[in-house]
Amino acid sequence: MERRKNWYLTLGLALTVLSVGYSALGLFWTPYSPTAISTADQYAAPSVSHLFGCDHMGRDVFSRTLEGASATLTIALAVLAIGFAAGLVLGALCGYYGGAADAFVMRVCDAVAAFPSVLLGLVVIAVIGPGKYNVILALGVLFIPSFARLARGEFLKYRDRDFVRAARLMGVSNLRIIFVHILPNTWPVLLSGLTIGFNNAVLAEASMSYLGIGVTPPDTSLGRMISEAQSYFATSPWLILFPALVMILMILGVGMVGEGIRERLGDK
Amino acid sequence: MAEPILDIQNLNSWYGKGKDRVQALKNVSLTLAPGEALGIVGESGSGKTTLAKCVLGLVTDYQGILRVNSSRPQMVFQDPYGSLNPARTVGWFLEEALRASGVRDRKERKARAVDMLVQVGLTEEHYGRKPARLSGGQRQRVSIAAALIQGSKLIVLDEPVSALDVTLQAQILQLLADLREKYRLSYLFISHDLAVVYQLCDRVCVMYHGQVVEEGDVDAVYDDPQHDYTKKLLAASLALD
Repeated sequence: MERRKNWYLTLGLALTVLSVGYSALGLFWTPYSPTAISTADQYAAPSVSHLFGCDHMGRDVFSRTLEGASATLTIALAVLAIGFAAGLVLGALCGYYGGAADAFVMRVCDAVAAFPSVLLGLVVIAVIGPGKYNVILALGVLFIPSFARLARGEFLKYRDRDFVRAARLMGVSNLRIIFVHILPNTWPVLLSGLTIGFNNAVLAEASMSYLGIGVTPPDTSLGRMISEAQSYFATSPWLILFPALVMILMILGVGMVGEGIRERLGDK
Repeated sequence: MAEPILDIQNLNSWYGKGKDRVQALKNVSLTLAPGEALGIVGESGSGKTTLAKCVLGLVTDYQGILRVNSSRPQMVFQDPYGSLNPARTVGWFLEEALRASGVRDRKERKARAVDMLVQVGLTEEHYGRKPARLSGGQRQRVSIAAALIQGSKLIVLDEPVSALDVTLQAQILQLLADLREKYRLSYLFISHDLAVVYQLCDRVCVMYHGQVVEEGDVDAVYDDPQHDYTKKLLAASLALD
């Protein structure tokens, strides 16, 4: 069986490794302190000593994108961890068992999904206050419905298959059927949903930081950097260009991996 | 006569709820002796699938007497492409049945799974394969292995060969006949194909609109059908041959 070369997957994985590597680097090392202010370097253009230039406070933009990328990545991953884990369990149980509880949970999800997550995030942050961990918590909870819906659809699809019936007749418990028999069949769809969710999480964090309700100084993130840089866009475009570029590569890479997974799924 | 492995007296069953509740079985009575194969024949909607589901405990909306003297009756499904878990290997699936019945020892599970594969005409080589790498006939053999591995004596076969081509049909029917003799299995064989029933079963039970309209030894029923519906079925199957 010859399989077409899956360019989406190959290129997507390469970009993902690159951007994750970049973010991981930011956790351990930056050429300058991301918060070191230097009046002499204000608005310095990209050069050998400052690869991506300096911002309005003379801080090294390369160092800041490294730190910002790692903050954005960790926030996005933490949001996904909450949203995906809870959504998976909820959706799996709803899809498998159905009934009144399923209808109730799905209506709640509909209600939550009816509002843009950034708007709801704004409300939550207004109540619990800004900061990295509150952003993670707010977005994580708001991401549950979309994953629950995705997982529910998959489990609904499989619950009446003959192999599930056979397992029931063998006396396998329902929970084991859900998580050991059905779950492995749903990974391709759930993983590609996870890649979309990752991109949404990155963008949601960026939007919230842009609106000033996300990461608070002195912490930074890619969204926060773009927000700070917008006043200087005309005179110092690199302030916005480099963080935006890092974010685009991150989203593009993961998005292409998702597309690659879907393509491989279609091959079967 | 030994105690029947399956004893059904005046069974009435329904499906649907409330206004849409429809009676699927009307006063069905039948018995199945250990080691016997009983064919249930009828067109779709005749109630034969509901009867099977009652026996397997999948339908609970019934009245009447239903006694099953076998641990966990098992089922072999019609579609060999849907009855095996695509994400799991053959060996895993067979061992899962053993895990469910409390066999804790890994080596014992594997040995029994491989032995069962051999019993159904496969080899150890198939143990590690996923269903995608098996043919339709091989899959159906695995389904049969999965139905037998827990030691159930009552097996419900729901059109187990109708999705296979004729050569494979003959092979699977032969396998079922051999296994029945070897393990003294009782079959409840659901089919619309009279020729297949004739090959495998001792007795046949013709169902029509939820009722048993004719029942007897296959030879007697085929040579001298009493009910009009049975005559029509026989005429139709002869016309096809």
